[in-house]
Order: sequence, then structure tokens, then C-alpha cells
Amino acid sequence: MRRSIVNDPEDLVPEALEGLVLSNPLMLDLHEEHRFITRRRPATDKVGLVSGGGSGHEPLHAGFVGTGMLDVAVAGAVFASPTALQVLEATKAADAGRGVVQIVKNYTGDVLNFRIAGEISGDDAVETEMVLVDDDLATDTGGEGGPGRRGTAATVIVEKLCGAAAEAGASLAEVAAIGRRAARRARTMSLALSAGTHPGDAEPQFTLGEDEVELGVGIHGERGRGRVPFRDADGLTELLLDPLRKELELHRGDQVLAIVNGLGGTYPLELNLVARSLHHQLAEAGVAIERSLVGSYVTSLDMHGISITLMPLDDEQARLWDAPVRTPALTW
Amino acid sequence: MTTTTTSTDPLPDDFGHAFIRGVHESVGGAAEALGDLDRRAGDGDFGTNVRTALKLAAQNIETEQPATYRQWVTTMYMGWLGVGGTSGPLFGMFFRDLAKAADGAEGESARVRAADGAGSPSLAQFAEALAAGQATVQKYGEADVGDKTMVDALDPAVSALRSAVEAGSSPSEALAAAEKAAVDAARATAETAAKRGRASYVGEVAKGVIDPGAAAIALVIGAARAAADGGDVDTAWIS
Repeated sequence: MRRSIVNDPEDLVPEALEGLVLSNPLMLDLHEEHRFITRRRPATDKVGLVSGGGSGHEPLHAGFVGTGMLDVAVAGAVFASPTALQVLEATKAADAGRGVVQIVKNYTGDVLNFRIAGEISGDDAVETEMVLVDDDLATDTGGEGGPGRRGTAATVIVEKLCGAAAEAGASLAEVAAIGRRAARRARTMSLALSAGTHPGDAEPQFTLGEDEVELGVGIHGERGRGRVPFRDADGLTELLLDPLRKELELHRGDQVLAIVNGLGGTYPLELNLVARSLHHQLAEAGVAIERSLVGSYVTSLDMHGISITLMPLDDEQARLWDAPVRTPALTW
Repeated sequence: MTTTTTSTDPLPDDFGHAFIRGVHESVGGAAEALGDLDRRAGDGDFGTNVRTALKLAAQNIETEQPATYRQWVTTMYMGWLGVGGTSGPLFGMFFRDLAKAADGAEGESARVRAADGAGSPSLAQFAEALAAGQATVQKYGEADVGDKTMVDALDPAVSALRSAVEAGSSPSEALAAAEKAAVDAARATAETAAKRGRASYVGEVAKGVIDPGAAAIALVIGAARAAADGGDVDTAWIS
């Protein structure tokens, strides 16, 4: 039996958005009817950035609205895409006259509704470019049709780099190219010790035996690629790192950006253990973690699990990563 | 002055109003039956999506006070875009193409329209808009004919309507032919297993069940026919 801190589960998303805005009155504004969050003071004369998707992944996406990152984040119900109408209004709200980059995680519903919103916003002379994030290595089918890899924690990298480029005055095409390049190079692997539970539900989305780990989970409580025996923090880190190293063909002397991400029910001590292990294992292979982020940024309700995202990092990307950012969830 | 309406003459001024009113009556009236079909062969949310879309569309009529064909159909397209699932965006984009039926027209009918300000499309324009709607649905839904989706009803309806336009049929006759083709095809979806859309997840289980999206398309085309001949739309076959 799992309990949630919730009023009417139907009101969960709008109430949470209201709470976020009330807590960040100088930074954020809420558009109630279409459930999107904008900067309190909309930027002028820059490419707009809109992202969004189902709720349940907080702080993604609304937590990344602010200077140096997103202009607008639009929220669907838990694990459900926002409607095309919501995305349309959010896209128009993000436009400051220089076009809008839509950052979209690769899920059928999200892609459909963002594409439609992009097409219709053309009626209002708003130019759009879509950047698709599809970093989840566990769903890589080698390009053999199907919906392709899912979008997960690399979204944070794409939103940060695009945000910095847009803030620096880059054009619509330039911002989109920076986002697509990051999405192409970043890969993520995830595992869970237990699944998340929908608010108001009594049971988690799946159950595991005491000695089992679900490898290759997504961020919607989807089952993973398979179950493997439970092991210690170093062993779990290795489970995620090995396929990433192989896929990214990391060699001695390479530099990477790393995200050690909690999936909602993982505590910071655990994440630091994984970060430590990741540093040691990559150092042994001669790969340097040039920049990193450790925390719960792209979650799956209260899933007890972790994901590791790696992206080979060049100087331009490092500069964009280091650029100032001021949002509820990410500030430096 | 002739009393015969040709395929390039504008449809009556109130065609958009009558058409959308008919969609509310026929699709709205069948929402329960459409939802039942989806529960048997899909994920069961279609009935709710239909009701939500039509509610939003009705609100749009209140706030927008539509007068022209384009404005009437736009209330419906924006209603569907406010609905989740896959049916919301696909029906929304379908109605968006219908709303654009009278746009960018050239020749005499456009001048006639400009003069009276009504802006109803001609039958030929409506047929081409229906074809454009089918193309859009196939582009976004990635479905082919025979996949047990709304496309199965759209495709023969477009063919029938285009043939009738070429044969010089009246709007009532032409739209009746399109409606018959759509209803027959929608009923025939009961014989196929789904390859796309919600019903594909249950595969063979969906056999024997009419696809609710195809059925809804048949009702929409029925509403267009009823707008032309003033009759009613039969929904009794949906079960």
C-alpha cells in the first residue's frame, strides 16, 4: 500500500503548477487555461524556447524556465502529452519575433502534438524548429522502424545548451543545430530498484523481487529491457556505464559531460555514491568528466532508480554549459 | 440564372452552420455507442474524447460567434485540438483542412463569395478539402487504408465524392454517395484486424468490432450530406 500527498488526483497538475509559481513569484508566471509556465519577464529579441510533456518528471520541464534556459514549459497530465492546443498556445507565448525552438522528448503523443502545434503556429507567422531528444540507449533498435529511442535525461543538456545559445543571440537555425548536435551525441541508461506509483493509486506500476533490478527502464514506469541480479552501488554503476561506453565509443583522453540522475525515489547520498563510482570507473578508462550534474532532474514519480547520461563534450558546448542560468531547478 | 447548383458554385451560405450543427447532433448523439466500440477494440477513451471535443467546440461557438463557413468549421477543429489521445490531434487536423476548403479559391465563385461575404466552399472545393484532410490524417497518423482506422472510411468517401463532382452530380447526390461509401467502409472495418491506432494493441480481439474512428468519419460526412439536403443522419448502424 502506497500513499501520496495529494488532494483530488484530478487537480494534482494544476495545483502543483500553482505552487511552483507561488514559490517563485519573481521568476515565473502561470497561464492557467492552457497549463503552461512562462518567465515572469518574457525575454525580448531572442529565439524562444518551449518544451513540455507529461507531468510526473519534475523538476522537468517547468523547473527549467528562466534566464538562460526555457521561455515556456507546457504540462500535460501525469505521463500524458499536453494537447495540441496547449502546445500551440505555449509555442506562440514563447515567440519574441525570432522564431521558436521546440524541445521534444521522443514519445509518439508529444511528437504528434508538438508537430501539429508547429504547423498551426505558422498561420500566425511564428517560425518553429523542433529538436527531438532521443537519448535512451535501452530502446535503441538500430533504426529498424518503430518509435525509436525514448527521450530522457539528456533533455536537460539540450535545454541548457539551447537556452545559452538563444540568450547569446543565436539564430533559430543555430539554436536548433546546437540542440540537435547535443541530442545526437548524448546517451542515457537507467535502472530501477522499484517502480513509481501513480498519485492516488495504491500499487506501484510494477513490482520486483528483493534480489532483482530492472535494467533499461523508461521514465513512465515502462518495464525495462530485462531483470538482473541486485548488486552494490559500484556494480549498479557499472551496469549502466558499460553499454554507454560501448555505444559512445569512449577512448582514453575523451572528455564528457555526465548527469547522474535520480528517478524520484532516490536519495542524494545514493546519487553521490554513483557519482563517485562513475568518476573512478571513467578515470580508469582515461575518460575525464569535464562537467557534471548530480541530482534528481528528470524523474518518474517516486521511482527508486538512477540514470546516467554521458555526452562527449567539446569547447563550444562547455562554454554554453557554463553560461549563467537562473531557473528554479538549475542556477549558476 | 440557373436553378441547378454546379460543383463550382458555392454551397449555400449556411452550409458551414448546418454542417457543424449536424456534426454535434450525429457524432455527439453517437458518443456512447462510439465509446462502446472503443472499449471493445481500443483503449476506451474515444467516447470521452468525443464528448470533450464537442463541449470545447460548443464553447468556441459561444465565444467566437462564427458567421462564415470557415469560422464554423474552425470552432470544431479547435475543439478537437484541445483533446488528448491520438483522436484529438488527428480529427483536429482533419477539420482544419475542411475549414480551409474555401481558402485561396480563384475564378468566379471566389468573386461571388467576396461579393456576398458568405464564404462557403463549392462542392469541388469541399471534395478537395476532404482529400487534403485524408492526406493530413495519413501523414500524422501514419496509417494506410486497411489498417482499421478513420482512414478506411475517408478514402472511399473521397473517391466517391470526386467521382460525383466529375459526373456533375448535385451536392445532395454527391455527398449522399460519399456518405454511403463511408458508412459501407466503416461497417466493413469490423471484418479486419487493426494494424495501426489504439485497436492494434488488441489485434485479433478487435475483429467483429467496427472501428470507432471510421464510424465517426462516416457520421461527419453524413452531417455534410444532411447540411445539403436538410435530412437527418442515421446513427443506428453503429453498435
